[in-house]
Amino acid sequence: MTDFDFNRDKDLAKHFLSNFVDSNGEAKYMNILQDVANRKTKAIEIELEDLADYKDLDEEFIRRIAENTKRYITILASAIDELMPEPTEAIPDDDHDILMTQRSEEGTENTDGSDPKQKMPPEIKRFYEVYIKASSKGRPYTIREVKASYIGQLVRISGIVTRCSDVKPLMQVAVYTCEECGFEIYQEVTARVFMPLFECPSYRCKVNKAKGNLILQLRASKFLKFQEAKIQELAEHVPKGHIPRSMTVHFRGELTRKVSPGDVVELSGIFLPMPYTGFRAMRAGLIADTYLEAMSVSHFKKKYEDYELRGDEEEQIARLAEDGDIYNKLSRSLAPEIFGHEDIKKALLLLLVGAPHRKLKDGMKIRGDLHICLMGDPGVAKSQLLKHIINVAPRGVYTTGKGSSGVGLTAAVQKDPVTNEMVLEGGALVLADMGICAIDEFDKMDESDRTAIHEVMEQQTVSIAKAGITTSLNARTAVLAAANPAWGRYDMRRTPAENINLPPALLSRFDLLWLILDRADMDADLELARHVVYVHQNKESPALGFTPLEPSVLRAYISAARRLSPSVPKELEEYIAGAYSSIRQEEAKSNTPHSYTTVRTLLSILRISAALARLRFSEKVAQSDVDEALRLMQMSKFSLYSDDRQKSGLDAISDIYSILRDEAARMNRLELSYAQALNWISRKGYSEAQLKECLEEYAALNVWQIHPDSFNIRFIDA
Amino acid sequence: MVGLPYDCLANPLGAVRLTFEKAVACGSDPSTFDGRDWGATDLFKQFLFDDGGLSQVPFLNPSNMPWVQPNTLVRFRGMIQDMLGNEFYVGAYKDGETWRTNKFADFSQFPMATVSSPDMSVWERRLLYCVPVPWQNSWIEHSSEALVNPSSISSSLQSEKRHREDDQAMHDIDMQVTNEEVHASTSNKKMREDGLTFNSSNPGDTTSVLPNFDRTSFPCLVKIYDSPESDLKLNDVFEFIGVYTFDPEFPVDKNDNNDLESSLCDDTLTQMPPSKVPRLHCLVHRKLSTQDFISGSPTFELKSHVVKATREALLGHLTTILGNDGVAANFMLLHLLSKVHARVDSIAVGKLSLNLTCFNKETVSVFGHRLNLALKNLLPFTHSVPLTVDYLNKVSLAPKKDYQTNRLVSGILQLAEGSHLTIDETQLLEGTLNPTGAQNARVLRSLLELQKVEYDFTYYKMDMPTDIQLLILSEEKSNILPGDLVLPFRPSLVDAVQDAETQVLQSWRWYLATMRSLSHSIEQEIQKVVEDDLVAARQADRSLSSLDFSRLLTMGRLVSLSFGETSLTLEHWQMAKELERLRKERLQGSS
Repeated sequence: MTDFDFNRDKDLAKHFLSNFVDSNGEAKYMNILQDVANRKTKAIEIELEDLADYKDLDEEFIRRIAENTKRYITILASAIDELMPEPTEAIPDDDHDILMTQRSEEGTENTDGSDPKQKMPPEIKRFYEVYIKASSKGRPYTIREVKASYIGQLVRISGIVTRCSDVKPLMQVAVYTCEECGFEIYQEVTARVFMPLFECPSYRCKVNKAKGNLILQLRASKFLKFQEAKIQELAEHVPKGHIPRSMTVHFRGELTRKVSPGDVVELSGIFLPMPYTGFRAMRAGLIADTYLEAMSVSHFKKKYEDYELRGDEEEQIARLAEDGDIYNKLSRSLAPEIFGHEDIKKALLLLLVGAPHRKLKDGMKIRGDLHICLMGDPGVAKSQLLKHIINVAPRGVYTTGKGSSGVGLTAAVQKDPVTNEMVLEGGALVLADMGICAIDEFDKMDESDRTAIHEVMEQQTVSIAKAGITTSLNARTAVLAAANPAWGRYDMRRTPAENINLPPALLSRFDLLWLILDRADMDADLELARHVVYVHQNKESPALGFTPLEPSVLRAYISAARRLSPSVPKELEEYIAGAYSSIRQEEAKSNTPHSYTTVRTLLSILRISAALARLRFSEKVAQSDVDEALRLMQMSKFSLYSDDRQKSGLDAISDIYSILRDEAARMNRLELSYAQALNWISRKGYSEAQLKECLEEYAALNVWQIHPDSFNIRFIDA
Repeated sequence: MVGLPYDCLANPLGAVRLTFEKAVACGSDPSTFDGRDWGATDLFKQFLFDDGGLSQVPFLNPSNMPWVQPNTLVRFRGMIQDMLGNEFYVGAYKDGETWRTNKFADFSQFPMATVSSPDMSVWERRLLYCVPVPWQNSWIEHSSEALVNPSSISSSLQSEKRHREDDQAMHDIDMQVTNEEVHASTSNKKMREDGLTFNSSNPGDTTSVLPNFDRTSFPCLVKIYDSPESDLKLNDVFEFIGVYTFDPEFPVDKNDNNDLESSLCDDTLTQMPPSKVPRLHCLVHRKLSTQDFISGSPTFELKSHVVKATREALLGHLTTILGNDGVAANFMLLHLLSKVHARVDSIAVGKLSLNLTCFNKETVSVFGHRLNLALKNLLPFTHSVPLTVDYLNKVSLAPKKDYQTNRLVSGILQLAEGSHLTIDETQLLEGTLNPTGAQNARVLRSLLELQKVEYDFTYYKMDMPTDIQLLILSEEKSNILPGDLVLPFRPSLVDAVQDAETQVLQSWRWYLATMRSLSHSIEQEIQKVVEDDLVAARQADRSLSSLDFSRLLTMGRLVSLSFGETSLTLEHWQMAKELERLRKERLQGSS
């Protein structure tokens, strides 16, 4: 009764294999079969997804395959046997073919075919292997999730390879010849250990009671490549307080030598019990070992570009994108446990997103990666910020300026201990290609690395000319540096330039430079005290007022944003140029220029604006993006020079007033819209609350009138 | 219920079988059980906890192992040292027309078809490798062993095994005599003795297998059924009650290594043959706290005057030990009461490691020794580590996964929750650290700062949260081991320490364990005072960080807990601040 079913399923399989047409209109499997017939390939990989796509098959059939895979592989193989086309190309006969021809000739001679013991098992004739690949939809299982109920089923799991055995031959069909009757006797081997035959089971020997002696024919037998490996759960899949589980995997035939220890892989395979043999079968009694018979192997890649969104993530991102406040929401979710530093987090978010790389017609490349330097007193959570960013980034390397290995930050030529050849070994910056490299203790970096980092930060390559190797390695990485001030702590009595222990040439390569100071501030102290007391009292962090997004969601959102490459529309060009020139002018006016505004600054503005546009999932940079970029740059400057501002005697309110007045005078208008005003003052690093305060204060002085609804400003001409 | 048709104690498998048959009779289909409980656990829970059966269940430990009969109910107290993954077994099968189960058993009691059939369902159980809690002090064993009455166990011999067991028992008595003798001498000697027999013993020789466990490495393979994975975590201390199996006659197959499967064989059966490692099929398990180890003692009342008196006495004892240094004694008391009670982000709230400085060679030999002895008597799990360059370079502190054997190789720092570790830095001399040493120094640092130990899994590392009280003895403020509290130690006179009576010791142990576990809160009014005090302190001293705040609050909490109070009062907060002031004074005085 079951046989009947299997026969029907075989017909179904044949139907599928011969009629399946992929999205390109090609008969996918028949093409593969032709390749197999022409001896170009050995593996036939049948994807369950194709079965699902094939309209003439019902769900039941797929379910049967997934749940009883081992059996269905033989069914599919016998279906393939019947469909196998003739080779279209001449192929040289190898030993195997010669043997096969001989056998078929003999077969016609002795028509003893009725003896089942002499029947040739189909395996020996096949020169291909059949694999069934599980559907890649959905999340793969972790090893922990594979339970007893999955035995015999096709599962897809992810893990890290911890051990690999050598590739060894495994007997699939043992062939014997009988000394008495001369027949070939075949024995199929399904387990790893088998009991060799000693007596000829053929009809002739049985009748003659000859007990023919059998001799194992190694040349005629069929062997498979076989490799055993251990995989272990990935660290992120292990629940807290548990130890990673491991699983044995068997690779056969074409799948051998695909993995090596340390690889992170996704496997689909059949979860099978391993029958105990010999003494253990007797004593172990009830227990069965299990293994995974691998069906397909794929290596994990951890790049933004390869990041595949899961179904629910796509939805989540769409929902987030609709929400207007995505910029704040995402930035707050970075290192939520670190209090405050909103603007720094915004900058770090933009670093993660980055701007598209540009390649000009003349071959010049303009980098899209943002570089940020955090400078500040010890113990202001710089390192935590760095580490958190690395955690969020799909590809990130955390290192310190005094890198531990000899390879250091850039690259080194080293002698391979085994082959004695010179090999090029990439350092942290090269390893972080297409990702983020966080360098802590940037100021304590080796002199040689510091020179190399100039090149990395602008040209995004590492050139090396050592030991006869002259080459340049890609290092398209965003640098996130953290440094301590020159004397350990920031010295207020000295100028910022003196405090910053880095050459200006290096500093100018950072798009944003942030100083985090530990200031004596009553409010901040109280906030800190409250926080600590709250933690001790409630055994949890105070509510953040929002729920931070999961790092995985952040990662998904960022990878989705990174696919866009926004451009600057014509009408904005002038606006940006104007803003740039005004910064230059301001600098020229001031007698103590703090910053070196160069073309690099302009590029930075463009980069930050583009990153902001990416965050909005927009293909065009908007004016608001540019304004926010200018504001961030201003804020970063203020973090360095805010003391000067205080010294200049202007408080925030009067400063805002002067900004607005100057602006109105420049445009020669008496009216300013609220949005405009907000734009201008935020660019200088003031908040909306401060603007409102200023508006009220000066309205009371009758300097201007404020429109009650729109808050538009109208100066009262004196 | 009177006259149970089965004996949970002597024949637990019979009881399991009975419930199984009952469940099947009630119409359940065993093939749909999928390993889930059918009422057996409830039966045992009732027997153990409601009917007071727990006290009759013998403890499994090296000294009574020879008496305990296989397939009886035992309990084992231990720490989960390693998790070996799942084991698949034939859970239910059809023997003719009746369903049978193999749950809670190593072997099937009835003949079983060898070929798989639809009437056979495979279930799984989890394997936990448990060891006695590391560095368990000897007073615990005395109190727990007192409960065991060997005669009751030997009376419950199973009749069908009588013949063989009698021989065994005869032999065991001999063994016991030697054991007793050894036990009388120091434990150190005992370990050596056992080590010797262990080395000389032949694995196949059953006569010398039994006494091969020394007190510190008496592992047990616990098989867990029906309980969510999250219940049992690594390094947790549990009491497992279940069916004990041990097969001293298990043949160790020496040829096994030569066959095909040797390359990646990490099978538990060969590594831990049932003749070496006893197995326990766990029916009921419960998590233990340090309080559970002080059982068997007269119960103390949680009354304020009792607590106060105990506190005074203990403080006095500590002061004597610390050469009349009252401040140090006070801090020591807080330190001994400390416990990681919450983890917020990366901060372990409640830890309070103590760094006593100003030790030199002489003082350390006097006070270090006294302190160790005192701690051993007061706390259940203590250990002391002399920190030298050589030690750092050689020892493995953090556990490491060995992929050859697929086991977690334990390190010094794989400790149960609430363990105490003394690190003596006074012997540290100048020297070069090799990579292992540097790694070890890093591990120690992260333990002190975050109460986390990084377990090495070669391809990645995993942080395991810990809760270890750390005491550091050093000459100057230790830079390798940044303790929460740095206190210069000022002994004034060396009094002979009087040995405390067992009764008194017991009360101190109870005091420390109980006060530690009390919950504590900070009321609204006092919260305001605390906040203001902290802000004022920071205004005065800019170098105070959130960690200092956190430490002060922890001190306040511990001062108040030391009086048995569960909420912070102004008085206790002032005391904590006063202690901090005294400490600051000393620090300034010493520099």
